[in-house]
Amino acid sequence: MVRADLVAAAFFIVLGALILYGSWTMPRLEVRRIHPMTVPGLVPGMLSAALVLCGLILGLRSLRLRAEGGWRSLGAALVSEGARRALVVVALALVYTLGLVGWLPFWAATAIFVFAFVIVFEVWVTPKPKPLTHSLAWAAGLAVVTAVTVTMVFEQLFLVRLP
Amino acid sequence: MFDGLALLAGGIAHFLTPVSLINIAWATLLGIVVGALPGLTATMGVALLVTLTYKMAPDQAILVLMCVYVGAIYGGSRTAILLAIPGTPASAATTLDGHPLALQGKAGMAMGLATTSSSLGTIVGIVFLAMIAPLLAEAALSFGTYEFFWLALFGVLISGQLTALDDPLKGYIAGLLGLLVAMVGMETLHAHVRFSFGISALSGGVDLIPAMVGAFGLAEILAVMKRTVDARVITSADRVLPRFSDLWRYRRTTLRSGIIGTFVGIIPGVGEDVGAWASYAAARRGSKERHLFGKGSQEGLIAAETGNSAVIPGAMIPTLTLALPGSAAAAVLIAAMFIHGIRPGPLLMVENPGFLYQIVAILLLSTIAIAIFGLSLTRPLLLVLQVPRERLMAVIYVLCVVGSFAITQRMFDVYVMLFFGVVGFILREMKYPMAPLVLGIILGDLLDLNLRRGLLLTQGDPTPFFTRPISLVMWLVIVFTILLSIPAINGRFKALFSRKADQAG
Repeated sequence: MVRADLVAAAFFIVLGALILYGSWTMPRLEVRRIHPMTVPGLVPGMLSAALVLCGLILGLRSLRLRAEGGWRSLGAALVSEGARRALVVVALALVYTLGLVGWLPFWAATAIFVFAFVIVFEVWVTPKPKPLTHSLAWAAGLAVVTAVTVTMVFEQLFLVRLP
Repeated sequence: MFDGLALLAGGIAHFLTPVSLINIAWATLLGIVVGALPGLTATMGVALLVTLTYKMAPDQAILVLMCVYVGAIYGGSRTAILLAIPGTPASAATTLDGHPLALQGKAGMAMGLATTSSSLGTIVGIVFLAMIAPLLAEAALSFGTYEFFWLALFGVLISGQLTALDDPLKGYIAGLLGLLVAMVGMETLHAHVRFSFGISALSGGVDLIPAMVGAFGLAEILAVMKRTVDARVITSADRVLPRFSDLWRYRRTTLRSGIIGTFVGIIPGVGEDVGAWASYAAARRGSKERHLFGKGSQEGLIAAETGNSAVIPGAMIPTLTLALPGSAAAAVLIAAMFIHGIRPGPLLMVENPGFLYQIVAILLLSTIAIAIFGLSLTRPLLLVLQVPRERLMAVIYVLCVVGSFAITQRMFDVYVMLFFGVVGFILREMKYPMAPLVLGIILGDLLDLNLRRGLLLTQGDPTPFFTRPISLVMWLVIVFTILLSIPAINGRFKALFSRKADQAG
């Protein structure tokens, strides 16, 4: 955690500095003769300065602490089984949200996503894989039920439009 | 006094119609299921339901949302006891004693105690809500722009301080990030668009609900799927209905936990999880059976469950009177109230005095529903816990997409959800709390507008921010809070007191 804090601190300092620059260069609306203490960049500027300060404290603190395992433990956390599983979820979610939805009708996109999610996590990315045939039946059933139910419930019952 | 009682009776009578009672039943039950399912938190459940209640009448919509909220905070205890995984973050303290009790073959007793404690906790909170809220609303009428600025700052700070368990710095950073998110889009004083980078969707700012569905929905899915080991459900067939003697024996713990929970709820952005931990710690300090804590203490279980449920009515106090959310789920409730044309804040008691008592009535009725469902539906709820997460999480993600899309019907909000989900997950893995971030998004506008409006009123002179009586107290408290969060100063401060105590003794 100590090394992760250092990386995060660097990120917060850079982010804070960028926002501070953005706030400083933000139009001061002199043409509209607003009071100089009420410029739009005032609060973002103060907040970003505070973020830089917090980033500095976080960074200094993590430099002073002795890191157990050092960079290696941070690296290990990034390539662990857990991280791999989380990445697979993000990948599936991205494909579904940015690719399938909008390109296919919502029910079809949803069915494909649910089917893929169940198969991937029950058969491949798991310490205890289940037989493919068993999972296939479940995944297909759940995909159809979810797609139909969500579409029906939201569009017919609650009158909400779907993507 | 009698006006209040009459309004309360009116509030209860308002919801004693068949439609309302049916809504209470299904919404509370849905809430319990949402709470029991790991990966679906109370906040996420309420956020999703905002979409579904969009077309309902305002009072019924708020009724459904509140029942889901109350049900979910209780429902988490089931998972905590039977699986040793908190169903919602609120029931993390419940796992400590609930699960050992289940391992000893007393799962039924633990579930029964959790049910009665949750109900009693809510009732303690309700009493305070009915007493404090009208007074606070009256006091808040004298708050001006200067006080609201400090209030917004104090809310984010204290939330950062208390939700980051041992590292306030990370809480502050989360709060600052939330406030900065709120800076995106058009500001309200001069109508200038900030940080939109030419993207037209950004000029309206970042909507709260998609951000919350991401931070509490997708981030939670990622956290659940990340675990490599599956938990095993423990069952037992012992008596569920608790004995009255057991409840009476721990009456002090119940009352104390209820009061602690309520006051934790009143603090902005500090929610059920902190309420449960604080009550648990207090119960442990005051207990005669301290050695049993963590090994299956009934008292510990009662403290945790009473504490987290009492937070809900407590959180409604600032939510209704100041429009300052007392917890993360209350933040969604504020958004929902605005959608339905109800404006929480100091004027609520003037504009719509019956509403507060309607909320009290809803809490009371949903508590009764919890007691009935909790003590009777043990077996069906067990089935809910046996759904494999691989199948459940896929469906929940679909709901996240629908939930964030449906309110304004633009894909941009779905992308916001994705962004906050992934960033929220990374922040959570690095032990940054989510509550101050969310509170920052809500309070950012309040803070920005009131600071600059105050400066405009005084022609750039900041003195009133520091000299008006209420403002003076507020900024002193803020400075004190920040100073105490610095370890060196905190240590010296404590040493000062212990030395004095030594000399006195």
